[in-house]
Amino acid sequence: MPDPLLRLDRVVKRFSGHTAVRSLSMSVPSGGIFGLLGPNGAGKTTTIRMIMNILTPDEGTITLFGEPASRAHADRIGFLPEERGLYRKMEVLDHLAFLGETKGLRRREAQTRGRAWLERLGLGDWTKHRVEDLSKGMQQKVQFIGTLLHDPALIVLDEPFSGLDPVNSKVMKDVVVELARQGRTVLFSTHIMEQAERMCDHIVIIARGEKVVDGAVADVKREAGARHVRLTFTRNRDAARRVLLDRALVLRAEDHGASAEVELAPGTDGERLLRALVSADVGLSQFAIVEPSLESIFIAKVGPAAATAVAEVTGA
Amino acid sequence: MHKILAVIRREFMTRVHTRAFVIGTVLGPLLMGFMFVLPILLSRRETAPKQIVVLDAARGEFGRLTAERLRGEMRDTVTRTRPRYRITHLAVNPGSLQRVRDSLVALTGSASEPTRALDGVLVIDDTTLSSGRIQYLGVNVGSPADMSALRRALDPLVKSARLTEAGVDPIVVMGALRPIDFQTLKVSEGRVTGDSGEASFLLAYVMSFMLYFALLLYGIQVMSSVVEEKSSRIMEVLVSSLTPFQMLLGKVVGVGLVALLQIAIWAGTAMVLTTFGGQIATLFGASPATVSDLPLPAVSPDMLIVFLLFFSLGFLFFAAAYAAVGSMCSTVQETQQSHTPITLLIAAGLFCMFALLSEPAGPLARTLSLVPFVAPFVTPVRYSFAPLPWTELLASTVAMILGILGVIWIAARIYRVGILSYGKKASFRDVVRWVREG
Repeated sequence: MPDPLLRLDRVVKRFSGHTAVRSLSMSVPSGGIFGLLGPNGAGKTTTIRMIMNILTPDEGTITLFGEPASRAHADRIGFLPEERGLYRKMEVLDHLAFLGETKGLRRREAQTRGRAWLERLGLGDWTKHRVEDLSKGMQQKVQFIGTLLHDPALIVLDEPFSGLDPVNSKVMKDVVVELARQGRTVLFSTHIMEQAERMCDHIVIIARGEKVVDGAVADVKREAGARHVRLTFTRNRDAARRVLLDRALVLRAEDHGASAEVELAPGTDGERLLRALVSADVGLSQFAIVEPSLESIFIAKVGPAAATAVAEVTGA
Repeated sequence: MHKILAVIRREFMTRVHTRAFVIGTVLGPLLMGFMFVLPILLSRRETAPKQIVVLDAARGEFGRLTAERLRGEMRDTVTRTRPRYRITHLAVNPGSLQRVRDSLVALTGSASEPTRALDGVLVIDDTTLSSGRIQYLGVNVGSPADMSALRRALDPLVKSARLTEAGVDPIVVMGALRPIDFQTLKVSEGRVTGDSGEASFLLAYVMSFMLYFALLLYGIQVMSSVVEEKSSRIMEVLVSSLTPFQMLLGKVVGVGLVALLQIAIWAGTAMVLTTFGGQIATLFGASPATVSDLPLPAVSPDMLIVFLLFFSLGFLFFAAAYAAVGSMCSTVQETQQSHTPITLLIAAGLFCMFALLSEPAGPLARTLSLVPFVAPFVTPVRYSFAPLPWTELLASTVAMILGILGVIWIAARIYRVGILSYGKKASFRDVVRWVREG
């Protein structure tokens, strides 16, 4: 693996009374989409703030672009904080020009790029309007543009999709995917596992400030093991049920009548279950070994307490 | 540097473009013009002459002369058309003086018959010349202007009456009692500058107040705009692109330039008003002389430079402190108590300026010029009295710059932590910790 773009080495951050991040190490490779996952309060924002050099770690080191992280890197990073905010009284294009300037762009250049981006995201008619006249979704887009204006090598997005409607969410997702395809590195945090599962090449899951999962999404899933089988049968339900109740083959089954989702018992594999079902003559029409979702991996790793937290947050 | 300029530009442009700035800038000169024109208009309005009875129980001509003299008193000295008093001379014998006086007092300020009401009774008796005692009973004894006018009119009358009684020729008396013409001319660096002392005092006074109000007005703007950036969460983005120092300095300088622009507009208006004051007064139907009574300060270029220098230094000093307070708070309401110490320091500066007016070159004044938070008030005022030696000016400037560096250093440290802390307002102990750990 080539030198990572960003590396955290045993980073610790304490706030009065509690430790927000405990000895966190991770490497973000250059290019692609990297997901930082975890329930609320897991330490995602604190980690990102340390990467952005807004907070300094109490212990450990952060390396950016192969050098110790410092203010000097600010212009090569685009940052969308979790809490969005713009100057409400400023005109949209003026505001983008200012954001560009704070990243070292010349004003004229920032205006040109801002106009192009606004056009691309469907806000071309709003350049002269004040930010406060825009809807919330539009404001989020403007801030998202502000993050990308200076064409950063690393894009850090803290909960980028929270509070977005599906249409805007898709627009942003498409931009992120496009950037990654062009070779930029996107690091984004989320507590919604499904999203990360669809977009990320690589993930780190943290809970209570500690890393619990780290790796490429495919590897993580493979490691968790393909222990789930979805099956549909057309006849002989009683025989089928007898097979599913065999604890030597099936650990848990969710019986839907004509179909079922089962988790294989330890020490067995899909083929043995298939053989049993075929010999029971249940008229099998589907037998699929499915990968576990990140959500189920996450629940398995951090326990039900954290899982409930996620369920609540996802539902909200 | 480019980034600081971007911040300065933003702070400046967004402020100058607001309705509040335009209104404030227009209203300022309007208000100034109004304050300028108002006295002219007021002096033009017919204030009814005061109805006064001169109750004369003295032998001789003194009572009659007094009445006559008061009849001749005019409200305006140029056109001599508006009498100050309407005088009734009433001679009584000393025995009935008390009774007549009481009945006149009963009429004085009576609300039931406003047309016949008296404003006051002036009592003269035989002892007046020897003791100098004249009694005035009236509704307007609370007005210092009215009383000093009356006193000024009566004083020479008594003196000349005494001299005439002593046998001095009335013409000689008149000549002897002519008031002096007291001229004051300011000398600086061994040359007569031609300014009157009154003018430089006025100048110093106006400048100090300008500084005072600009600091309060714009300092508090700096503070609340920091709070606004925090509460709108734009701070989260800024903090990833700019250093606290860049944010702080950019904001303070940007707002400071707005203040300077506004003051420049106002000062320009004031200069036009004073230069063409005569013409303006004529426009409103008053005589140009009404205006020429005002001492007009002549601002020399070096005075202007010193004022602008110390204005800018003072602004940097206090605005940085205000910004630090803003960063410690999450809502505008919270800032209201927290900024009191700074506001008190500013007031202290203004009071120190007053304190040294009596001795602008004394050791106290010289020491105060070296104290950062009073120097912006003290040094320009001292300079307006007499140009300071350059060593002293330099010392004051250096002290100011050191003070500013200190304040910005502390403020940036508070800022760094403060801008990302929400919720509970920082306690004094927290702030000390932030500065130490910064």
